[in-house]
Amino acid sequence: MLKKALLALPVALALGVAANAQKAPEDVLQRLIDSIDSTYLTQSEMNLMMMPDSPALWLIDDGQELFHEARGPNNVSLETCDFGKGPGVLEGVFVEFPRYFEDAGRVMDFESRLVHCMKTIQGFTDDDPAIKTKHGNAADITKLQTYVASLSNGHAWNPPLDHPMEKAIRDAGEIIFYRRAGTMDFSCSTCHAATGKRIRASVLPDSNVPEEWTKAVSWPAFRVGHDNVRSAQHRVSECYWQMRHAEPVWGDIGMIAIISYWNDRARGQPAILPDMKR
Amino acid sequence: MFKKTSLAAGVAAFAAILFAGGYAIADAQKVDFTAMSAEELAEYIILESGGFHLDAAVQEGGTMRARMEQDDLQKACSVVGGGKPDAATLEAVRAAAAASITYPEGGIKLGDWQKGRELSWSGFGYRVGHRNDDHSASRQPGGNCANCHQKVSDRDGGTLGPDLTGYGKMRGTSDAMLKYVYDVIYNAHAYFPCTQMPRMGAKGVLTQEQIADIMAWLLDPESPVNK
Ligand code: HEC
Ligand code: HEC
Repeated sequence: MLKKALLALPVALALGVAANAQKAPEDVLQRLIDSIDSTYLTQSEMNLMMMPDSPALWLIDDGQELFHEARGPNNVSLETCDFGKGPGVLEGVFVEFPRYFEDAGRVMDFESRLVHCMKTIQGFTDDDPAIKTKHGNAADITKLQTYVASLSNGHAWNPPLDHPMEKAIRDAGEIIFYRRAGTMDFSCSTCHAATGKRIRASVLPDSNVPEEWTKAVSWPAFRVGHDNVRSAQHRVSECYWQMRHAEPVWGDIGMIAIISYWNDRARGQPAILPDMKR
Repeated sequence: MFKKTSLAAGVAAFAAILFAGGYAIADAQKVDFTAMSAEELAEYIILESGGFHLDAAVQEGGTMRARMEQDDLQKACSVVGGGKPDAATLEAVRAAAAASITYPEGGIKLGDWQKGRELSWSGFGYRVGHRNDDHSASRQPGGNCANCHQKVSDRDGGTLGPDLTGYGKMRGTSDAMLKYVYDVIYNAHAYFPCTQMPRMGAKGVLTQEQIADIMAWLLDPESPVNK
């Protein structure tokens, strides 16, 4: 508890985050648990207990420092990056992805947008470790993502669908979610369209129950089994691997279509950022 | 069902240029996504956009592309929003599934339940991506049964499928029962069209001998499943 207070307070003060975002991730989760009977939400009592001390919380500070530091070949910070609500606006932006960006001419998920800004503003290239290293606590991308995500904690998922491209990609994502293929005939819906079912010991989140699904799509999350903070793209990759399907190209349209659909399915429910998962 | 023939003109034209040039798609923006139906765009994203690693080699030979292209059953059983297709489609799926099943020479017999125990537990095999399952090493692909079925208390199984604890004790080992269980493991769509259960025989994941071993695990009175 002490650690949380020490961490949350300066972040909140420094950035003037909204009242609902000041709640800790575990409080957001607790409210969901109180609102609905769900074995998925309650499956790990240990995680619920550990959340106030989640290692993901420490990445918020690291990410904040990195974000505001002058870096890269151009020696500038990311403060001018437009995450959809204007340059420099960070609060509440994370829950409004994927989004169409005129300057890139495509729909981007948060991670793609972050990488886009690191390249176009700071001058990093694909070969720089800052961009190349995508996995784990030590990756800049993980830290930056966890920081900006934390500023949407408790905000309701609200991915925009006004632009025709946003709508088209979300709708294709829905088809992909139900599309069976591969050695085992799996689609995402094989495992994520019923409530309270398990694969072995893991309780599966149901995409038809928004209160469950918001936790499912709340990444970055500290993945206890991996001892690392993971991103949404990492989870997409993992499920494709389990399905015996082709691996999606990191940051490419397959990933983004799935994330467009899954964030839409959590619409209106508060995001838990950063979350803790099994 | 998705009609492969009805690709939007925009994609077709682009694809023609693309394949003539023989280079990978670098800029998906040349295709007008908003001119396609959701089904067309989904197919495009999976098979044409470069958004998936379709050139990756797969354990059964060939590449990922073949796995990601749907066969007739997969198309028929993909229902957006969930649920099952209409009765006529289900009957067609069921009949095709029944016709797909081949039986061991000399009839269906129970194999070795101890081998079956391991096979029904193992979820190894056919995974490709950040880590590839190596079938040529000592491990052979497993049946994944425990992912979806609860059987015995010694290890935790899943609940996507029905609980199979005491299955043989309840159902017995008549010839009809042996055929039924063999069929279900080989291609469960013969009884449950558009089921979630994978086609372990029809897709070549399990051999006839391995199916016999798993059957023994389910049905043999000596198997812990029935103790
Ligand atoms: C064979 C079953 C299976 C299939 C098919 C599958 N998943 Fe999963 N998925 C799982 C399991 C198991 C977990 C981990 C759940 C847990 O730990 O409680 C999971 C976790 C998730 C989560 C995060 C929830 C969490 O708590 O970790 C999301 C989101 C998700 N899957 C989306 C998808 C999408 C999208 C697809 C299709 C591309 C898909 N899944 C296909 C089994 C599956
Ligand atoms: C992806 C989940 C999944 C996997 C993996 C799976 N099953 Fe199933 N199985 C099901 C479902 C679901 C049903 C129920 C059929 C239906 O109504 O669709 C079922 C039904 C069955 C039945 C018929 C039960 C009855 O009432 O007579 C048997 C037997 C069975 N499975 C055995 C197996 C075996 C053996 C394996 C491993 C080789 C296996 N299953 C793998 C999901 C699965």
